[in-house]
Amino acid sequence: MWPYYPDLLATPVPRYTSFPTAAEFGPGVGADDFARALEGADGDISVYVHIPFCEAICWYCGCNTGKANRGERLASYLEALHREIALVGERLPATARVRRVAFGGGSPNAIRPTDFVRLLLGLTQSLPLADPVISVELDPRTLDKPWVDALAGVGVSRASLGVQTFDPALQAAIGREQPAALIERCTDWLRGAGIASLNFDLMYGLPGQDEPALLDTLARTVALAPERVALFGYAHVPHLIPRQRRIDATGLPGTFARFRMAALGQAELVRAGYAGIGFDHFARPDDPLALAAREGRLHRNFQGFTDDAAPVLIGFGASAISSFPELLVQNEKNGGRYRMMLSQDRLPAMLGVRRGAEDRRRGAIVESLLCHGAADLGGAPDAETAARLEPLLERGLARIAGTRLVVTELGLPYSRVIAAAFDPYRQQSARRFSSAV
Amino acid sequence: MSACSNCSVREKAICQSLCEADLEAMSQMGRRHTIASGETLMWQGDEEMCVGNVIEGVLKLTASTSDGREQTLGICYPSDFIGRPFGRTSSHSVVAVSEAKVCTFPRSAFDRFAQGHPDLEHKLLQRTLTELDRSRQWMVLLGRKSAGERLAAFLLDMADRLGAEDAQGHARFELPFGRQDIADLLGLTIETVSRQITRLREDGVIATPDRRGVIVLDRDRLFDCAGE
Repeated sequence: MWPYYPDLLATPVPRYTSFPTAAEFGPGVGADDFARALEGADGDISVYVHIPFCEAICWYCGCNTGKANRGERLASYLEALHREIALVGERLPATARVRRVAFGGGSPNAIRPTDFVRLLLGLTQSLPLADPVISVELDPRTLDKPWVDALAGVGVSRASLGVQTFDPALQAAIGREQPAALIERCTDWLRGAGIASLNFDLMYGLPGQDEPALLDTLARTVALAPERVALFGYAHVPHLIPRQRRIDATGLPGTFARFRMAALGQAELVRAGYAGIGFDHFARPDDPLALAAREGRLHRNFQGFTDDAAPVLIGFGASAISSFPELLVQNEKNGGRYRMMLSQDRLPAMLGVRRGAEDRRRGAIVESLLCHGAADLGGAPDAETAARLEPLLERGLARIAGTRLVVTELGLPYSRVIAAAFDPYRQQSARRFSSAV
Repeated sequence: MSACSNCSVREKAICQSLCEADLEAMSQMGRRHTIASGETLMWQGDEEMCVGNVIEGVLKLTASTSDGREQTLGICYPSDFIGRPFGRTSSHSVVAVSEAKVCTFPRSAFDRFAQGHPDLEHKLLQRTLTELDRSRQWMVLLGRKSAGERLAAFLLDMADRLGAEDAQGHARFELPFGRQDIADLLGLTIETVSRQITRLREDGVIATPDRRGVIVLDRDRLFDCAGE
């Protein structure tokens, strides 16, 4: 069992899917910066396509998504996406190579399968695709046979199913009802469609969830043998995500119960033969993600831990974020304004941050700590960082070895807290760290 | 008996899944017309007004970039479906490369019809997947292949789509367009196209019995020439 330090866990820390985080994005970055960055993107590129629609909105979800029930709005969103893909394609240099295409949301399968194939067609015609690995996030409740045909026909090789929990009562509590038989059928279909790497998203810390319920979900998951599992803690923040108000907060597990569930999940999945990847992903030892982790090639991006090493990520769609070595830039979040800008042939980049040398240095340390559990600091940390690290070193959660900082086995659940010590934008948190000791 | 009974692409077009009664309904919506070589059937950026089947002839899909460059995205042959049901504005233009016969439907009427006919929607999905495959091959053809490979791949594609077996069992077809059009489609010069055709003929891979006729004498070698 990991040591329990509630003071450390009480401090909100970012997930560091980018550095600086989206909280540091500002209006000083826009379409011109994005266009220039595209013109310089002459190597490997990954593409993310955001489909911010779902057939039904689950109460727990913090994603940028809306109901797909209005066909007209959906059609004009897709049209804007096609336009955005064409505009970006025109700006990429001839030497660019797209090696990955990921669809996420929302639920990409909230659109018609034919519209999904058309998006692939648009990407093929406008971008320099180099036989890319294609992955799709899927909502099991709306996965049907035509969609599975489309996945097979397009050659999608990786898929992620939003499973969350197998427990019917818990599913009802979060507004996402999907019988186990449905998950089993989807798994069979996806295997038949040639999905070689299947991921299940699972959650702990759900209202009313106890350890036996989590164990049951893990056992059912292991039985269906997805190559990957992501186990996330449910964050109840109804003041930020109003749809969560529908969830009865009285049944929410406390901090210690959540901590135990995370530890239980880790232990169970490792016992079942999965390798722990970072702090919340798991993969079969022969899956590319586990191979990347073993070989020190793991990275972190907006979708979590990844074996994707491309230096450039281009995000398409409302609220999508693009990442370049020296620039992070986010599209207009409002769907109506996003569509309006593209109807005028304008790149919808609105917010972002330029990454200076110091950001890149700190970003590399943060990523390395989260992905490899260690980072070369290149010398002694500055006084402020050292002060933030001190309580973590004292508790044995991390140790210094020469110029390297190593997250100890005990420190794994505190990886993000350790990484946050290098984040100068989290000054408030720093004060809380020091006062807590 | 609907007008569709005698349609030359009846067995291969998207409507093949329909029963007689539905075919009759489709036929009422459809309008068969001939477009001249060089004429544009659909314009990029226009509202998607119609969809339809190619009955005869060859059309090209083109898109122009915001700085005015034109790119050929693909070629449509008889029985191919053109236009995007449930789409909004057209992402490319559809231009006849030879005289062509098409059977078109108003998009809104086709959409309503497809919604009530899951078979047709399924066919539409299959068509779109086929279109994706072709588009991928086309992009590979334009992106990676040498002039010789491009022309060989292009001739192979046309032999597969337009060819009929002659008495010796060779695929024979009429080039639907001239060498300048081929050069434009493939991003080559007309001299290069002529040189490559001459080479294939001298190597005994193809025969060119008349100005437009092509006979594929050795399909395996044409395949090799295409770098497949």
